[in-house]
Amino acid sequence: MDRKRVNGPELSVVPVEEHTEEKQILDSKERRLDGRGIDDIRPIFMKSGLISQANGSTYMEFGNAKVVCAVYGPRQMKKPSFTGKGVLNCEIKFATFSCKKRRAFQRDAQEKEFSQILVQALTPAVRLDLLPKSSIDVYVNVLENDGTSSTLAAAISAASVALADAGIEMYDQVAASSIAYVQNKILMDPSALEEESEDGSLVVSYMPSLNEITHILQNGNTESAIANKAVEQCIDACSKIYSVMSTVLLQSLDTSDK
Amino acid sequence: MNADPVAPSFSFEIFERIKPDEYFRRFIEENVRPDGRSLHAFRPTSIRQGAISTANGSAMVRIGGTTVICGIKAEVAEPRIDRPKDGYLVPNVELAPICSANFRPGPPSEQAQINAETINHVVETCQILDLSELCIEEGKAVWTLYADIVCINYDGNILDASLLALICALKDLSLPKATVLPSSIVQADSSEKTRPLQLRRLPVSSTFCVFSNPKVTLSDPNDSEESLSKKIVSIILDTEGTILYVHKSGGSVCDPEMMKDCFTKARARASMLKELIERVIV
Repeated sequence: MDRKRVNGPELSVVPVEEHTEEKQILDSKERRLDGRGIDDIRPIFMKSGLISQANGSTYMEFGNAKVVCAVYGPRQMKKPSFTGKGVLNCEIKFATFSCKKRRAFQRDAQEKEFSQILVQALTPAVRLDLLPKSSIDVYVNVLENDGTSSTLAAAISAASVALADAGIEMYDQVAASSIAYVQNKILMDPSALEEESEDGSLVVSYMPSLNEITHILQNGNTESAIANKAVEQCIDACSKIYSVMSTVLLQSLDTSDK
Repeated sequence: MNADPVAPSFSFEIFERIKPDEYFRRFIEENVRPDGRSLHAFRPTSIRQGAISTANGSAMVRIGGTTVICGIKAEVAEPRIDRPKDGYLVPNVELAPICSANFRPGPPSEQAQINAETINHVVETCQILDLSELCIEEGKAVWTLYADIVCINYDGNILDASLLALICALKDLSLPKATVLPSSIVQADSSEKTRPLQLRRLPVSSTFCVFSNPKVTLSDPNDSEESLSKKIVSIILDTEGTILYVHKSGGSVCDPEMMKDCFTKARARASMLKELIERVIV
């Protein structure tokens, strides 16, 4: 019982779906259900500066996946204490209606894990040594989740653009992309439907100009040769995403000049 | 030293920061607001329906900078014993730290609770929706609609935006056809949709901010105006002009003339939004 919210009935469940026929994820020509080839990423839409209250912000769509990210800071830390370096705080929240099953308001273990991943993926790129005694707060809100690993990748890329939009000095942008291992094949940027039949997944965060990887997350099992190939493919995709990110940042500069 | 009290380098941004009341008063004396609006103008309002495919119904509303998204998730629950046919509608408002620097992470702030409670109250007492439409089988299973309103950008007047988003999301809602099996499991067939819900009335909220010195009321206050005056008047009317809810907060008095004036403006706003809703929602 949550006393601070409007409560519904004590117990409610998702109705059982009537059985529908199994769909093949890949057809004979290796085309996917949405018409993509196996190493195509979904179309990206990105726009920065939509949240006027924040120092920097981005809205990003990765196919159907939608994330909003806002950066507040650099600002004074909540508990005034001395640190020689700035602190990067990240928080990912899935909106209650963003997934197939309704999510709770309280932060769950997955959101805590993702927040931690976001910190680890972004910290190497941010020049925290220039911001002593201050904190940078990055908030990501997932409005629609279409593939958990690709949503995480979108969150990392969006947060990186929002940090740049806030005018925080960085070594490079962090672009992230994901793949799923399905029957020993590598599917780029998997959707929620494809994720249901995956054997494992991989999320790579990468700084394209420096050619450095900041974070790798591999789940499930696969052969090392395939894993190596998957990392290569992710890096390729990151470079594509990076070009979109740069264009968006350049556009935001154009509009703020006027 | 011939120090000029108003040096040419004195920027208006610094003035606004250190003397917000005086800064604001000088604008009001000229009958204009710091953001360029006239005193009674509402900010441009836009609605986008059905943007989120994981929700059963969704809508995004922007009033100026304020952006909220309402997503409705439908689940199945047992009805109350005293109302075997009625479903549930559970509205909640989230003011997360993403939308403004003034909100902290953690449980909902007082403001979020008050907003959710107001909306819940309006929905319940004014019977916007016939809850028996949510019945799957009497006494056994009904739909529960969890309507969660998430604020993405907070620039004042959250009540107007969240109520409008809720109404538009309800209009967008489509439920799968559901049946109760003999084993009392509810089965849904998402290929077949039930007819959209009928809303009995469309409540529209209009919020005003009252200042005592100089004595003015401002329509649709933004964040900085709200923070300067705690005197907020919210009027909820339906599109036929019936009064559903009136709320005035803050200590100072508000004379009847001023209230009358607010009602006139709220009526005009309600009919304007009615047109907008009809245009956007087919």
